[in-house]
Amino acid sequence: MNIPSLLRRRLYKVNILSRLVSTSKEEKIEIPYRINRGPTDILRALESTITRDTTAAHYKYHDDPYLIPMNNLAKRSYAMAQEAGRKAAHWVRSENPELFNHKECDPPIEAFFPKLVYDENSEVTEMDLLHVIERNHVSDAALINNLLKTKGVEIAPETKQSLLELLCYNNSEEFLNEAFIEERWFRQSSSNREKQRKTWKDGSLAEEIFNSIENPNAETYSAIIQGMAKFNQAARAYHLFEEAQNKGLILNVDSYNAIIKVINFLKEAYDMRWTFVINLLEQMKATGLKPNLETLNSVLYTLSNMGGSKIVKDFAVKTLREFKNLGIEPSLGTWYYLLIIFCKDRGPKSGILNNILNQIEHKQHEIYDISDTYFFVTAMDVARNHLNDISLGERVHKLLLFGNNYNLIGDSYKESIYYRHYFMLLISNLPIEEFMEKTYNHLVPNIYVPEPSVMKEVLQQIDLNGAIEYVPKIWSDMVVFNHTNRQDLVNLILTVMVENQPPTESDLVEKFCNIAWDIYTIIDAINEEKFNMIKFTGEILGKILTLVLRNGDFTKACDVFEKLDDKHNIIVGVPSFDSLSLFVDHCIANKSPSRAIKCIQYASDSGFPDILILGARLNEKLTLDESHLNQLSKFINLKIH
Amino acid sequence: MNLTQIILRPTSSKLNFLCRDVVKGIIVYKNKSSKELTPPNSSSSSSSSSDSDDDINNKTQKPDAATKLNLLLKQMVEDSSNAKSTIQLAQPTNQRNKGREEKETRTSQSIEKKVVNAVKNVAESLGGDSKQTESELLMKLLNTTETQADASNNLSDILKEMKIERDVKPDPSRAEQIRHLLQQIKPETRMAQISTSPRKPRRAVSSKLAEIELEQVDLFNGPSLSIFTNPSVLKESPQLATWEKLHQKELKLSITHPPANYFQEMILWTEQGKFWQFPIDNAFGLEDESKVYFADHVFLEEHLEPWCPPKGPIRHFMELVCVGLSKNSYLTVEAKKEHIEWFKNYFEDKKKLLQEVGALPADPAPPQSIDKQ
Repeated sequence: MNIPSLLRRRLYKVNILSRLVSTSKEEKIEIPYRINRGPTDILRALESTITRDTTAAHYKYHDDPYLIPMNNLAKRSYAMAQEAGRKAAHWVRSENPELFNHKECDPPIEAFFPKLVYDENSEVTEMDLLHVIERNHVSDAALINNLLKTKGVEIAPETKQSLLELLCYNNSEEFLNEAFIEERWFRQSSSNREKQRKTWKDGSLAEEIFNSIENPNAETYSAIIQGMAKFNQAARAYHLFEEAQNKGLILNVDSYNAIIKVINFLKEAYDMRWTFVINLLEQMKATGLKPNLETLNSVLYTLSNMGGSKIVKDFAVKTLREFKNLGIEPSLGTWYYLLIIFCKDRGPKSGILNNILNQIEHKQHEIYDISDTYFFVTAMDVARNHLNDISLGERVHKLLLFGNNYNLIGDSYKESIYYRHYFMLLISNLPIEEFMEKTYNHLVPNIYVPEPSVMKEVLQQIDLNGAIEYVPKIWSDMVVFNHTNRQDLVNLILTVMVENQPPTESDLVEKFCNIAWDIYTIIDAINEEKFNMIKFTGEILGKILTLVLRNGDFTKACDVFEKLDDKHNIIVGVPSFDSLSLFVDHCIANKSPSRAIKCIQYASDSGFPDILILGARLNEKLTLDESHLNQLSKFINLKIH
Repeated sequence: MNLTQIILRPTSSKLNFLCRDVVKGIIVYKNKSSKELTPPNSSSSSSSSSDSDDDINNKTQKPDAATKLNLLLKQMVEDSSNAKSTIQLAQPTNQRNKGREEKETRTSQSIEKKVVNAVKNVAESLGGDSKQTESELLMKLLNTTETQADASNNLSDILKEMKIERDVKPDPSRAEQIRHLLQQIKPETRMAQISTSPRKPRRAVSSKLAEIELEQVDLFNGPSLSIFTNPSVLKESPQLATWEKLHQKELKLSITHPPANYFQEMILWTEQGKFWQFPIDNAFGLEDESKVYFADHVFLEEHLEPWCPPKGPIRHFMELVCVGLSKNSYLTVEAKKEHIEWFKNYFEDKKKLLQEVGALPADPAPPQSIDKQ
């Protein structure tokens, strides 16, 4: 019965198979003669098979338990220590160049040779000048240029132009050696803030060279304009820009872009700025210059400094479309500017992040503009602070992890801000269990070490959800991350433990007791002269007292209470009445009436009104002798009248 | 909720302090103003509400003093705008005063009518745009009366507070009792605050998100600036070579992060030129040699032709030298040629001896024989 149908099915399958085979025969597979591989292609292919191991410290740290950094400070100092070693090696080589001149290897590795040193007596030629320009040695270039000048050697205009560009590019300052990757990674982006004021060195060598060129051409003008604009010497840059135009020179696109970028310095009013931008774009069109990505980003940068009105947003989108029509693809930096234009702190909420993500998701992005590295941190900021939308946050994170996009994170500073926003977004929107299991345990501490503010939020969420099983973990992390000197955090974790009392049979009671005792010993051990230290307060001690007592640890409780009683003149605040009352109860249980009376006296001194009850309880449970009663009546009577 | 509660509630001690501050401030103001206004009455300035009402009645009759008081009151109200709001929250309705207040408003209304008439007369007598002057004058007058009313209300409230506080102070046992009561409730209320307050915004946020239709932006469709309408005319502009090189380098460095595994480190070293490049090529870095064809290395006999005899022991020896040289991978072609040259010169020096021995043919004959061939 079944056989025919089975057979038919077989036949059908064979048919399909044969069809597949026949089609594949028709297709011609072309085997390329040879694919040229670059020197790093094989390495990159191998590297792409390795994913980040979140359970291990970063590759740059030594794989040794004592040398694995556990908090941000250690991460930075360990990496910088390594960098310092690298620098020391460079120093030794530059101090003793004669020791490093042996040419053992063939082909010779130039990176290992000592740098050629030029001084006033060096015999130099134009070739030397070209050589140092090629290697971006600004100070050497300046020196050689001077030497050539004093000797009266005429330099070719191309070399001079090249030197001028080098000087303009970095404001006649030396570049950071590219070997120092760690330093660049950890360097705080303070330079960003510096960008807001004029840093161009007036009368520097760059200007000298510019002035020494008799008939400056468009390229010469472009170089000096771009340099001045880059370091915010806006007025003079624009002056030269106009001068060049009056001479009928056709400047390149980059100098237009540079001027657009400093319009904020040139014009005060927003509408003036915008007409200025339009004007420049019209000029570009009139001279037949094709704008580029940099132009787009410069216009958006200017718009991003023009407030959050609707018209600005309108201009921004129109600009984007204009450049899209020209066939210029926006880079991540473009999207960064759009985000800061649309998502102002004050102002209507904008869903533009969603539209942007639709454009750029599931793609690997390259760097085209320096501002590209600001995108991810800003996008996460918008997802958290502007929209508080967890799905957008996850999409941004997914994009970051796609391909090599992680390279665009910027530097360590941006990275940690990015994760701060990401954590804050997840904490407040995910169930605490999911957050702890999937995110916290995954990323902490090797990828990200939470700042105290993030820790605080985690603790608050634990409190809110009563998820006290995470408290021991959080506390041990706090110890590792050096958060134990934060008064607010210590107080908060104590509050969480006091207010979410675990059931008596759970082992958490003991763990909480240990944590409380840890806190006590940590604060107790702190040298009082230390600046900005955490101090005992009545509140903290009261909570420690409660937690210790819940575990039935009477001797520790007595220690805590004695500290409270002895130092009552320097300890700020008083513990809660509940903890004192609990202590009295335990005194009763441990048949220690004198301690109980001391506690009642402390309570009375602190102005608690209910000591009567405590006294009554003590009297009821224990038979007090005469002296005890006398003591008790002294301060209780005082209140009763 | 009434004022007594606010003042006595120790939980909101902040509020308490605030109220007290305000009251203290007001005592000062009140004293000042009453001195200035009604020196004979100053003894009775101790804050009964009826007194202040009387003051207001006086004010309407004495516009000079009234404006002064207004100024003071205005200042006071501005200074303590925060406190004002809390006070307004707890405004007690004083039933007794209601009737009086109504009466008052009635009288003030009649006064207002009079004022309006007077203003009209003044405006007409002044001439010009009489309507406008009239309205301006009225505006001025009415505004002051309004703020007056406001301020007087506040004043009376505040004065009541003062009274209450004074009532309370001499009776500590009552205060203590209330404090007892409140303290017993305190932990609960605090707990409730803690547990509910963070939850609330969470709910609020989610609901808000659901409610608000987020502004969506159509990124690429729609009107553009329409400046570059004809892209075909535009041409790429030349860029500054060194500048562009530096820019590209900066871009590259900004995405070069500390290597995260050994392969990345190897990539970095390769790029810095410290590493033998993949794929492994044993001629890597031998740029000069790469220009030389291998045949030049291997077939060296051609260099023998001009001088070496076609046969005989020297020829045999030199051929062996060539074989040896052709297999040597450490010498450049130039060095090999030099090598052969050296032998040539050597044999040249020893020519006589060699000819005697017969290793070399006699001088003139061999070239001829070669020619013949």
